[in-house]
Amino acid sequence: MTRFLVFLEQREGVLKKSSIDAWNRVQEIAALSAGAMVTGLIAGPVDRQPIGDLLAGDGVVYHANEELLRPYRQEFYTRLVTSLIKQESISALFFADSSLSRDLAPRLSVLLKASLLSGDLLFNRQGHPDGSFRPVYSGLATASFLPQRNITIYNLSPSRGMVTRSSADGTIQVLPIELHQQSSDNLLAEVRRIVLRQNSLDIAEAGIIVAGGRGMGSSAGFALLEELAALLGGAVGASRFAVDEGWRPHAEQIGQTGKTVAPQLYFACGVSGAPQHLAGVASSAIVVAINSDHDAPVFQVADFGIVGDVHLVLPKLIEALKEFLKKK
Amino acid sequence: MNIAVCLCQVPDSASVIGFADGALDRSRINEVMNPYDEYALEEAVCLKERIAGSLVTVFTVAPLSAKDMLRKALALGADRAVLVSAAEPSDPYFTALQLKSALMEFYEGILPDLVFCGKSSTDFQSAEVPSMLGALLGIASVSGVTSLNVSGEHLHLEREIEGGVEQIELHYPVVISAEKGLNQPRKTTVKAVMEARKKPIDLLAVSVDGAPLVLVSDFKALERKKVCRFAEDEKELVLLLSNECSLFSAD
Repeated sequence: MTRFLVFLEQREGVLKKSSIDAWNRVQEIAALSAGAMVTGLIAGPVDRQPIGDLLAGDGVVYHANEELLRPYRQEFYTRLVTSLIKQESISALFFADSSLSRDLAPRLSVLLKASLLSGDLLFNRQGHPDGSFRPVYSGLATASFLPQRNITIYNLSPSRGMVTRSSADGTIQVLPIELHQQSSDNLLAEVRRIVLRQNSLDIAEAGIIVAGGRGMGSSAGFALLEELAALLGGAVGASRFAVDEGWRPHAEQIGQTGKTVAPQLYFACGVSGAPQHLAGVASSAIVVAINSDHDAPVFQVADFGIVGDVHLVLPKLIEALKEFLKKK
Repeated sequence: MNIAVCLCQVPDSASVIGFADGALDRSRINEVMNPYDEYALEEAVCLKERIAGSLVTVFTVAPLSAKDMLRKALALGADRAVLVSAAEPSDPYFTALQLKSALMEFYEGILPDLVFCGKSSTDFQSAEVPSMLGALLGIASVSGVTSLNVSGEHLHLEREIEGGVEQIELHYPVVISAEKGLNQPRKTTVKAVMEARKKPIDLLAVSVDGAPLVLVSDFKALERKKVCRFAEDEKELVLLLSNECSLFSAD
């Protein structure tokens, strides 16, 4: 019996959408690969949602419901995951790619002598996950990564146009699991607190992203993008140039030195389309480009485009959208 | 205080990325210090300047040609440089093993107080070596650090997370991976470059037991081609979007 474990990340007591998405994807994989069993693990309290309502399929979710684990603590999380993997004879562990998984997964890989793979999954003939492929060399190439050990850890990129299924069928059994504290615990890295930005939708979780680049001209130019994002219920993103110029915070940067995103709809406004940027948006379901240069590389990855100055196109686009939404 | 900085070389951003016989075609590659490593080195040198008696040593597992990068690191303020000769690293785990051996050998079994790495290298983009090195050394690691302050025995760090910032307090020793934003790396000066020529570059040979965890293969230069449908005006674009994707109609 193949046994999969999905790490379900909570932030401030709320399960992250990207984790739920990963769980549901792993359920689909398990169904295809003949009878694999899916188990979940949550570290820390979940305040607002009944866990079973959020997750599709059948399975057991182990919940370490301890205040101590509410913030991410590297040593405690490491111990919790390694002990469960050994206890349940897990052969593959799945994370949704996040700042937490990037910190935790490499440590687990060393301690479990497990192959760590990130990006998109590769499958073998039996339909089992058997490696990954992802961009390398600043997004100018891709490579395959193949596991060499019995236990594999997958750090999954967001799926194409990430959708969290709302209806949960099947039975999820939630079981308690304990973190065994040790006498050396006071020496460990201590997360003091998390400071969240107010009123900003995180680009990594947004369904619609409106991103701007050099063509926006200034930080003031981004007001148009904020208006468009607000209209569509999306988040604002930025190219490296816009961040380096100080027009936008680094947290909004998309691309190789920023975040990889997978929204339903991605607007690239005044973004020329450097390979480093395009590597970060390759998983978007639909890409719309607005650029004054017809030959800009961004149009090579766009589904739809308008050639024109963003400062002229965007106000008209916002008007046209308002008109359209009013009629509906 | 002993501060170690792990460096690596990557193709510069103007290099042509192509593959021959399943490996990178190095003939059109110019190698430079990994950009994230510049933040790591800068932070180490800043700390040295604040904390008397500190010593910054840079390490790289690389062929002899990496001496130029080490000279640059010395010109940027490192005190010593160590070129670690070992088998060519095959995956992040193997690289971390080699770095661990080099650190244990160089510091004679006593852990340095701080180990800095860049967040990731821009070639393989794994971002795994720093945390792996922390686990191998048996000490904490913090990835993607954007702010660092030292007060006495305590380190106050910040790292960027989705939608906010995580503030962390911890003790030495620790492995820190540097994210963009941590500092503004300095430039070399002619004087510093001259002085760097007098600083030593040590050669250290290590051999490592352990098999790679991951095999990398099947490199492909990327061809991204979609056929873009150009809209004549904004209204047409809205119509195209509403027809082609359910976004504007479902709710």
